[in-house]
Amino acid sequence: MAEGKSFFVDTTKCTACRGCQVACKQWNQRPGEKTYNQGSHQNPPDLSSNTWKVVRFSEAVGEKLNWYFFPDQCRHCVSPPCKDVAEGKAKGAVIQDDKTGAVIFNPKVKIKAEDFKEVKESCPYNIPRISGAGVMAKCTMCFDRIKEGLLPACVKACPTGTMHFGDRKAMLEMANKRLAEVKGVYKNATLTDPDDVRVIFLLIDDPKKYHKTAVAENTIGITRKMALKRILKPLKDFQWIG
Amino acid sequence: MKITRRSFLKISGATAAGTVMGGLGFDFSPVESYAQELRIKGAKETTTVCCYCSVGCGIIVHTDAKGKVINTEGDPDHPTSEGALCAKGMSLYQLINNKDRLTKVLYRAPNSTKWEEKSWDWALTEMAKRIKKSRDASFTEKNDKGQVVNRTNGIAGIGSCHVNNEEGWLYQKFLRALGLVYIEMEARL
Repeated sequence: MAEGKSFFVDTTKCTACRGCQVACKQWNQRPGEKTYNQGSHQNPPDLSSNTWKVVRFSEAVGEKLNWYFFPDQCRHCVSPPCKDVAEGKAKGAVIQDDKTGAVIFNPKVKIKAEDFKEVKESCPYNIPRISGAGVMAKCTMCFDRIKEGLLPACVKACPTGTMHFGDRKAMLEMANKRLAEVKGVYKNATLTDPDDVRVIFLLIDDPKKYHKTAVAENTIGITRKMALKRILKPLKDFQWIG
Repeated sequence: MKITRRSFLKISGATAAGTVMGGLGFDFSPVESYAQELRIKGAKETTTVCCYCSVGCGIIVHTDAKGKVINTEGDPDHPTSEGALCAKGMSLYQLINNKDRLTKVLYRAPNSTKWEEKSWDWALTEMAKRIKKSRDASFTEKNDKGQVVNRTNGIAGIGSCHVNNEEGWLYQKFLRALGLVYIEMEARL
């Protein structure tokens, strides 16, 4: 499933208006959160079970002030580690759509707090969040919209041309083309893990300056511990079916 | 379940493939697990203009059969915004579905600390009264040189970005009829 859909997020065009963030809340009918001033324009301070998209603001004070904007969201990994981990814990809690590649947390499946911790730790981008009721939540790629041929709410709203959504091949092409353009001005420009994820950001500086988990903290894929779990899993499934 | 060699191979094969595919093929289908009709399917679409800044972006308001607003989003056919919206425009939905929304006229008299509920009739009559009073008090028929000017110096008018050309024209016509010379437009502020 290398094809499917993808996002391309061109942060060189982002003005941090947060239209995407509000569009996400609006479409998904998530309530607002009571927050306090954290000394930054970033608000709310982090993702939560009700906030699936947040524009992160990072300031780097050097010779001149650099202000980095990073519209953070689930990357919809091509091989999602959260799914691998969740599979053995709460069946069907994480599902991946064959056609689009969207990684979706099933709102009908509950997960135990300690199991959730493992799912969260497996995510290289620190995305999964859990509600008080024990249901995991994150970006759904606006699955209900994209299956009807509509753009995800965040992409539809973006007024600056930062957010793009489409067939993976077209998005990768667009991302590489733009990277080549930007490279002329910003030597450090990179795309974030373009081969592994479906939400590809174009950054013009060290990704760590944008956000701690802008690029994968650990390599995506199967760690040794997870591989062991996978081997044990089929036996468990036999009991299930039998 | 009896494990035949064949099904065992099938499963272990799936496990090996699982590192790439991420799963054993026992997935719940997202369509079933996350079955959700598109919220705005069959909804009535009405176009409007964002009420906030002077850019005047186009918005589509989706209403259900009972006329309740169920969604608002950017209007791709609008010449100004082409479907895009900022954070404020995107939050327009809350303008309607909001328990804190004002639904009645509130009036605070000069020097008062209290808001009083009033009717629209009262508010419109009151505004008309005050415009008349201010106009009569500040009307200048002739300037210092004795030329006829018919000016109302005590009132200024600001047009809205959310009306169309024709409405804007009617509005300035009304202001000029009152004798206003301080006529501005939100788009220029």
